[in-house]
Amino acid sequence: MAFDKMELKDIEVWDGNFAAAQALRQSQIDVVAAYPITPSTPIVEGYAKFLADGYIEGEFVMVESEHAAMSGCVGASAAGGRVATATSSQGFALMIEVLYQASGMRLPIILNVVNRALAAPLNVNGDHADMYLGRDSGWIQLGAYCPQDAYDLNFIAFKVAEDHDVRLPCMVHQDGFMTSHTAQGVHTLTDDVAYSFVGDFKPMNDMLDFEHPVTHGVQTEEDWHFEHKARQHNDLMTKVLPKIQAAFDSFEKLSGRKYNLVESYDMADADVCVVCMGSSVETAREVATEMRAKGIKAGVVGIRVIRPFPFMEIAEALKGVKAIAALDRSSPNGAPGMLFNEIAGALYNTADRAMLCGYIYGLGGRDLTKKHLANLYTELQANVDAGKITTQLQQFIGVRGPKLAFL
Amino acid sequence: MSEMKKVKNLKEFSTSADRFEGANLLCPGCAHSIIVREVLNATNDDLILSASTGCLEVCTAVYPYTSWDASWIHVGFENGSTAVAGAESMYKALKTKGRLKQPDRNPKFVSFAGDGASYDIGFQWISGCMERGHNMMHVVLDNEVYANTGGQRSSSTPIGSSATTSPAGRKSYGEKKNKKDIVAIMAAHQIPYAAQVAPNKWKDMVKKIQYGMQVEGPVFINAVSPCTTEWKFDPKDTMHITDLATDSLVFPLYEIIDNHELNITYRPKNVVPVEEYLAAQGRFKHLFKDEYKYLIKEWQERVDAKWDMLQRREEARV
Amino acid sequence: MANIGWDEFEIGAMLRTFDGKIDDIAGTLQEDRAYSPNSSFVASVADWRIKKPVFNKDFCIDCQFCWVYCPDLSIIARDKKMIGVDMDHCKGCGICVEVCPTNPKSLLMFNEHTDEETALAQWPTKEEKE
Repeated sequence: MAFDKMELKDIEVWDGNFAAAQALRQSQIDVVAAYPITPSTPIVEGYAKFLADGYIEGEFVMVESEHAAMSGCVGASAAGGRVATATSSQGFALMIEVLYQASGMRLPIILNVVNRALAAPLNVNGDHADMYLGRDSGWIQLGAYCPQDAYDLNFIAFKVAEDHDVRLPCMVHQDGFMTSHTAQGVHTLTDDVAYSFVGDFKPMNDMLDFEHPVTHGVQTEEDWHFEHKARQHNDLMTKVLPKIQAAFDSFEKLSGRKYNLVESYDMADADVCVVCMGSSVETAREVATEMRAKGIKAGVVGIRVIRPFPFMEIAEALKGVKAIAALDRSSPNGAPGMLFNEIAGALYNTADRAMLCGYIYGLGGRDLTKKHLANLYTELQANVDAGKITTQLQQFIGVRGPKLAFL
Repeated sequence: MSEMKKVKNLKEFSTSADRFEGANLLCPGCAHSIIVREVLNATNDDLILSASTGCLEVCTAVYPYTSWDASWIHVGFENGSTAVAGAESMYKALKTKGRLKQPDRNPKFVSFAGDGASYDIGFQWISGCMERGHNMMHVVLDNEVYANTGGQRSSSTPIGSSATTSPAGRKSYGEKKNKKDIVAIMAAHQIPYAAQVAPNKWKDMVKKIQYGMQVEGPVFINAVSPCTTEWKFDPKDTMHITDLATDSLVFPLYEIIDNHELNITYRPKNVVPVEEYLAAQGRFKHLFKDEYKYLIKEWQERVDAKWDMLQRREEARV
Repeated sequence: MANIGWDEFEIGAMLRTFDGKIDDIAGTLQEDRAYSPNSSFVASVADWRIKKPVFNKDFCIDCQFCWVYCPDLSIIARDKKMIGVDMDHCKGCGICVEVCPTNPKSLLMFNEHTDEETALAQWPTKEEKE
């Protein structure tokens, strides 16, 4: 082996970016094609430093744009090896067509998305605009709430994506700055344990097998396209969630850390509940506990698997809740938020249709404070007490100016 | 480094076992296919190929058929070159890690793209590949328009050509801008080899492709690909038009080694007037109207000036 | 290949050119390769033609211009000799006739429906240069 192992402490103080870079190092990637963009740049820089210091053996290609980064990843993955990269925001937007190409070609590429707002106006801070842009790209999408998650979920991502029954690319999302640049004590795995969880890369339909040449990236017109897209959707709908669950179970045995398709917190008898993604989940959990002390039966549902959307599992987690708030960290620009719509879809045909409200928050890195959430839970409780929604269906939290409420 | 196959003459070359198949959807008489065959037959080594969106890609890989007998990938319009660069990177990684399935082979990495994909939308991607030094070859199939979508102008479309987005009309003689010198631009990336080729001079093309495949680093090849459908000539005349292109010096055949040595590789015995080249194609027929005849004169002047410049560079050994 | 359902093909719309393993493609002639049903080699574009080339080997000098300039790999050359035209893959473009250097030409275009015997019987004689 022409690279050195790293001795890690049991707990290292890492921010989300460095945690992701370490996970990529430990996964022994064959080709990383990457481009820098705030706030994901440190992942790529961390990886480059590992390479320069001899902790990585493999190719690191610093290309000339994010579109080229994902294009290089697609070519490398089709050639037949382990591939990963990282980006944010504008870079994610630039590579969007290649994301669809990668998933349509069923190539297991891992993409760390450090979520950041989309211009215009230009903003380098954290929100979920980029995540929402890639919603329908056909990728498996996992959401980290903290650096520990960013570290762990990368291993899960490789294991699930590269499975020959899955063969779909996978994104690991983390909040820009709030997770990526915030350090935390991260429980580590040793290099050997981490790599053995991910396992050796097993090629499939690899171009570099000269005895079995393959053609990748064909054209399909009205006589074939529907079948190919149907197949991709079928595999996302039927194969992926069980594989993710199995990976979560193995990972729990290995590390003691338990991940769930839907992260329910104090939901057993909750009357009111906040559903959200990213670092806000942790804030909401703290506030929910405080609301409990005040006599409000508050819970939190964190979205862990964003795609495939755990439709049944979310409906199950929200059973019995009387008032739900769906928090979207992206401006829907003329419609209810994505999470609001998807939860509404999951609940619409259920017997106990809870009261559902949408909140838009935290755009461009604007903080979601505990006070905001406390007010929100109080509003939800008011809905429960009145037996109907007492506010408008969509409200903006934390924006200066006259109160913004719609629908 | 593997031994390049010996190709002394055409009879010897004809013993090649093609790795590109017929019954594809290319127009009858399409030069793309002739060029691809010459490039692929120049070597016996394994190939990893790509094509950017365009005539070649769209006509040779429509599900459920593929015309490619080597591993081939299409990703998008801009990024065929980068896809091959990614594959080449994976090859290097697996070689280092000892995971190649057939470690004794010496694959060649070749990306094909049209002029639209290379001069325009994929320009940055190719530039990146050339700059990063990947051991690959990019071949432009230059038919001077976006042929696959019906003949719109690209930055390779020459002055006076009637393309659908720069059509000749009552008030216009068609394309107003001249083609950019893509070979010089790519050579300026300090790549080991850049060259212009034409399918009629098969031996010149094979020699250049073989040189490009043997040299370490990125190689850029611009191949003139006369298009029966968009240049508007009879399919049977493809080689005749290519002859006019090279013999009128509209498409001079030369090579640039390490960006400081230019060699002209074909000097026609009889140089044909540019007017004959233009007269043979429907896309230039409006230039023969009295009001536009001056453009034919300007064409000849431009071609002469370019030829003069190439000769001076060759002489000065720069 | 028949229009099969969404569950019946390989994922990623990936296609394999050959059935099983192939050792040395560049060293194996087409007739010896195990093409899969997905190689366009097994398809035919004969119905594209209005005219077809007819080969008259009496005049052929095996120069192989037709082989190198045929866009559709429809000139079959074996052991440095021109054997014939692959009528499944020939689109009738006529390039082979144009590049044939012999006098009279060894390849000429005839109506698609003309049979070979008739075509050969109609072959022109050597053209005298003025």
